[in-house]
Formats: sequence, structure tokens, C-alpha cells
Amino acid sequence: MNEIAVQTQNLTRRFGKFTAVDRLTITVSRGEIFGFLGANGAGKTTAIRMLCGLLLPSEGEATVAGFDVYKSSEAIKKNIGYMSQRFSLYDDLTISENIDFFGGVYGLSPALIEERKEALIEQVGLGDFRKRLTRDLPLGFKQRLALGSAMLHDPPIIFLDEPTSGVDPRARREFWSIINELAAAGKTVFVTTHFMDEAEYCHRVSIMRAGKLIALDSPGKLKESYGRNNMQDVFVALVNDEDPRPEEQL
Amino acid sequence: MTKIFYMIRKEFLQIFRTREMVAILFIMPVIQMVVLGFAVTNEVKHITLIIADRDNSRLSREIVAAFSNTDRFDITGRETDVREIGLDIHRWKAQAALIIPNHFGRDFRRGLRPDIQMIVDGLDGNAAGVSVGYAGGILREWAEAQARQTPRLAMVKQNTPQLELIERLWYNLDLRSAQYMVPGIIVVLLTIISMLLSALSLVKEREVGTLEQLMVTPLSRFELLMGKLAPFLILAFIEFFVVLGAAQVIFPITMKGSYALLSLEAFLYLFTTIGLGVMISTIAKSQQQALFLSWFFMLFLLMMSGLFIPIANMPQFLQDLTLLNPMRYFMAIIRDVFQKGSGWQYLFTDTWRMTLLGTLIFAVSVLRFRKRVS
Ligand SMILES: Nc1ncnc2c1ncn2[C@@H]1O[C@H](COP(=O)(O)OP(=O)(O)OP(=O)(O)O)[C@@H](O)[C@H]1O
Ligand SMILES: [Mg+2]
Repeated sequence: MNEIAVQTQNLTRRFGKFTAVDRLTITVSRGEIFGFLGANGAGKTTAIRMLCGLLLPSEGEATVAGFDVYKSSEAIKKNIGYMSQRFSLYDDLTISENIDFFGGVYGLSPALIEERKEALIEQVGLGDFRKRLTRDLPLGFKQRLALGSAMLHDPPIIFLDEPTSGVDPRARREFWSIINELAAAGKTVFVTTHFMDEAEYCHRVSIMRAGKLIALDSPGKLKESYGRNNMQDVFVALVNDEDPRPEEQL
Repeated sequence: MTKIFYMIRKEFLQIFRTREMVAILFIMPVIQMVVLGFAVTNEVKHITLIIADRDNSRLSREIVAAFSNTDRFDITGRETDVREIGLDIHRWKAQAALIIPNHFGRDFRRGLRPDIQMIVDGLDGNAAGVSVGYAGGILREWAEAQARQTPRLAMVKQNTPQLELIERLWYNLDLRSAQYMVPGIIVVLLTIISMLLSALSLVKEREVGTLEQLMVTPLSRFELLMGKLAPFLILAFIEFFVVLGAAQVIFPITMKGSYALLSLEAFLYLFTTIGLGVMISTIAKSQQQALFLSWFFMLFLLMMSGLFIPIANMPQFLQDLTLLNPMRYFMAIIRDVFQKGSGWQYLFTDTWRMTLLGTLIFAVSVLRFRKRVS
């Protein structure tokens, strides 16, 4: 695969007259942790859905893993993992059954499913719980399990839509250490979040407001150019439409 | 293809994990069939009756008294002319007539087993069957009381009943109500279960969010839908036979035709109902909406199926409209197979129309179902 994982050009999605994503242009390279920030309703989920081949764009271009979102959405699906904003496992299946199922529909052989299941259960630390119903797990475990299930087929790109909302700080840390490992192994991670401390972990961060991209850079550069100490302040300033930058930079 | 296997296995796991589902699938339909079956076939009172007592002996007057002492029958007139009786029934003045022949009392006492005739209007098949049953009961009771009073008579005719009822229904000759209604009810139950459950299971996954997750897997639309629907097809099929079996145990009905043929027809019909389920799931945004829509479809299917209102009695444009109703065809088919034991040659027209309609419904629904979020 080439070094560019995700590329969009003026990607736009309208619902009726309302424009949820407005001319989004980004390039994400392989191995990058790309953060997607924005207030509620900014258009993050809509953008991710277009990239996953779940939603047709109204206008603009986008390729994911080199495949066009209009023409090759099924090819994209083989190359990505996706964790939707809502919980994405079956609550009424056991942990083991969930993994079997997702491994199966991704076309893995039974032996491979078994192998990856053991590795995943080990990694999440659920050894004794494999026969438990998924609904009985604490959210932190559920989300790590969901991440693992979305990655059973070992895709090069992974989209995570608010994977840590509602998760306690310690479980969030563990979750992010997995994300870091994935990136280190060459995976591209596309993640949305409302936690500004998580934004600090991203290689690059984009901030959306009302469907438009209003900032895109590494957390360090963003803090520097907006003259703030942390991402929280950068975000609040941007989303409140204050723009502290000098005129010529706009 | 093995992906479908994983889908099907997951669906079965989920279905059988919820105990209510098992009840909904196999226990509720049997209960509903019993309740509905008895509701549409039983408890007929105040049947209007004409008495034709041509004997006018002590015994015949006793019989008439027995009929007037029950609220099952209301004696509305006395008339000995059979032609007049026929006209009265035709004019809806009476639903039944009891004819006691000349010399009934004398012949009865001699043990000659004289005939009593009961004429019943078969238009309402339920009431007809039931009233004949009541009349038989009343006469049998009377005959037994006679036997106790005159032991000699009982001794002579030890093993034959003193009184035997030979039923002859006028109009609608061999219409037995349970035989006619119960297969219809089975069709209704089968339709509800297969349509509603397949719709609900799809809408539920959308509501919970797992459908979105399925849509980003490499499962094709065909695999996704087949994996979701095959379990309901299989379960509805099993249920069909459970209810069919239970019906024959509970009601005095007999299946005259071929089970293989009926299975094939049921299978073709289930495509339609499950297709409707998919259609509903592509329209409904929540499980409540899916329920509401199913109910709406169900009413149309039911009212236009000929189960309660004979299609021939409908205005012409409604009759034409029933041609679009898949239930109409299966209703006719199951009755033909069940009652007459009809072979496939006789079901050909209904079958191809039902299949064409089913294929259309299924195809449109599947095309409406997208592997994208709306
Ligand atoms: N199917 C749809 N039909 C109509 N409007 C929609 C649809 N999906 C999303 N929207 C609208 O598009 C806008 C962007 O929604 P989106 O879910 O992408 O926001 P988000 O950035 O993910 O927000 P959140 O942080 O709450 O998840 C919202 O105003 C939403 O109401
Ligand atoms: Mg969102």
C-alpha cells in the first residue's frame, strides 16, 4: 500500500439543504494517529461514515487505502476497521461468540479466529469472562473488546468514532496505549474524541466547526500558533470563533 | 458462503438466548390458534327453529318440549310442508327445521328406529355445524331417558343407539366450520410471525447500531440479508408444522392432501411474508414503527384474504385488489389441500400468481435495503 492512507478533496455531504460536511480536504499518511475534533454536530461522524463507504458523499473526492469511496466502497471495507459511535458488539452474545462472529464474517478461517480470539482475550485481560454475556462487561472492557473485534482481519486503517466516551480515565489510558501500539506497527488510526487530553496524543489534529475544517496541524504547532498552553484552550478559542491569529495568516 | 453460516449461527444464538422469543415462536401461536379457533367456531345460541311435528304423539311432543326448553334453540314456527320450510329458511325466518315423521311414536316404541330430519341453513357454516351438534345432543339425551323408563326397549337394542342423527346440510353442503376456519387461522399466524419477526430483527439491529457495524464488514448485501432471514424462514417453517400438528390434535379436522405439496406452497408463501418484513424494515425507523406498519399490512392482507369475508361477496374493485394480496392465494391453496386434498394441477394458477407476487415483493425489498446508512 502507498504512504497515503486517506485523502479527501472538497468532500461534502448535505442532508436536504443542511450541509453536514463542507468541502473537507485532508490527507492522512500511513502510521499516523489522526485526531478529529469538533463540537457536537460538527460533522465528524458524517465524515467518517463517508470514508467507510457507509454514506455516499454529495460532492468531492475521497480515497481510502487507495480506493475510491464512490466506486469501490466494498474494497474499502476489506481494508478498514470501524468502531461506530454506538456500541458495536452484540450485547446478548458472549465475548467468545462475538469474536467468533466478527472473525467469521470477515472471512477468517476457524483456526485463525481461534488464534486471534485467544490473543485478544489475553490482551484485554478477559480470560475468565469469555463465556460471559457482553452486556455484563464494564464499558472500558467492552470498548477494548470492540476495538479488537473491529481489527480481527488486521486492516491497515482503522476508524474510531468516539471510542472512549463514557470510559473512565484509567481505561482510557489503556485504550490509548493500544492505539499507540497500532500506530507503531504501521496502522493508520483515524479517531474522533471530545477529550482534549486525548488530542495531545494524536500526531495531527483537525478541528471541525459546522461541517468546515477550521484548523489542522500537530498539537504542538496548534498550541504555538494560537498561543495557548493546552489543546483545551485552543479548541475553545477556535470553536467560539475567536481567531487570535494575525490577519495575514488567515 | 461460510460468512452466511456465521450470520445464521449468530441469529439462532440470539433468538434462543431470549426465552420470550421461543415462547413467541412456538407457544403463543398454538394458544392463539386454540383461542381463535374456538372463538370463530363455537358457542351458537338462539338458533331459530321451525318444528314440523307430523306425528303429534306423546313422544313427539316430548321431543318438541325438549327443544323449547333450551336457549340453544328458539322455536319460531310450526310448519309441516317441506317446501314452505325451505322458503322460510331462504327468507331468513329460520335457520333450522326439525321434522318428526308420521308414526314416529309408534315406530319408536316398536324399536324400528324411525328417522327425525333436521334441516339446517349452511350459509353460516359455524352455526350450522354447531346447531346440528346441539340437536343431536338433545335427541340423544331424550332417547336415553326413554330407555331408562322402558328397560325392555333398551334390552332389545342394546348396542345400537335408539336414535341416530343423519346430517344433511342445505346449501354449502360439506362445510364444516373448524375444517374451514382453522387452516385459515394458521395462515394468519404464520404471516404475522414471519413478517413481524424478520422486520423487527432488522430494525432492532439498526436501532442498536450493530447494523452499521455489519455494513462495514465485507458481507455482501445478499449474504447479510440471507444470514438475517434464513433463520426466520426456517423457524416459521417449523412453526407452521407445529401449529398444523397441534390443530389436528385439538380440532376435529383432517388434512386430506399431501404434506410435501403443502410444504412447498408454504415455503413459496414465506418468501412473500419475509420480503414484506424486509420492506417494513426499510421504511420503519424504530421498532414501534415496524410494529405499526406490520399491523397495517396485516389488516390489509387479512381483510382481503377471503378468510372472514368471501371474496365473491366483495365489490368488483375490491375483488380485483385482492389479486395483489399474497395471503389470498395461500389461503385458497391451504384450504384446497387441506379439505379437498387437491393436487398441484389444481393449485397451479394460485401458485404461480403467489410466486410472482412474492418474487416481486422480495426483489423490491432487497433492492430497497442498502448497505449504507440513510
Ligand atoms: N441522516 C441524517 N439526516 C439528517 N441530518 C443528519 C443525518 N446524520 C447527521 N445529520 C446532521 O448532520 C450534523 C452532523 O452530524 P454528525 O453526527 O456528523 O456530528 P458529530 O460531529 O459526529 O457530532 P457528535 O459529536 O455529537 O457525535 C448534525 O447536525 C446532524 O443532525
Ligand atoms: Mg458523532
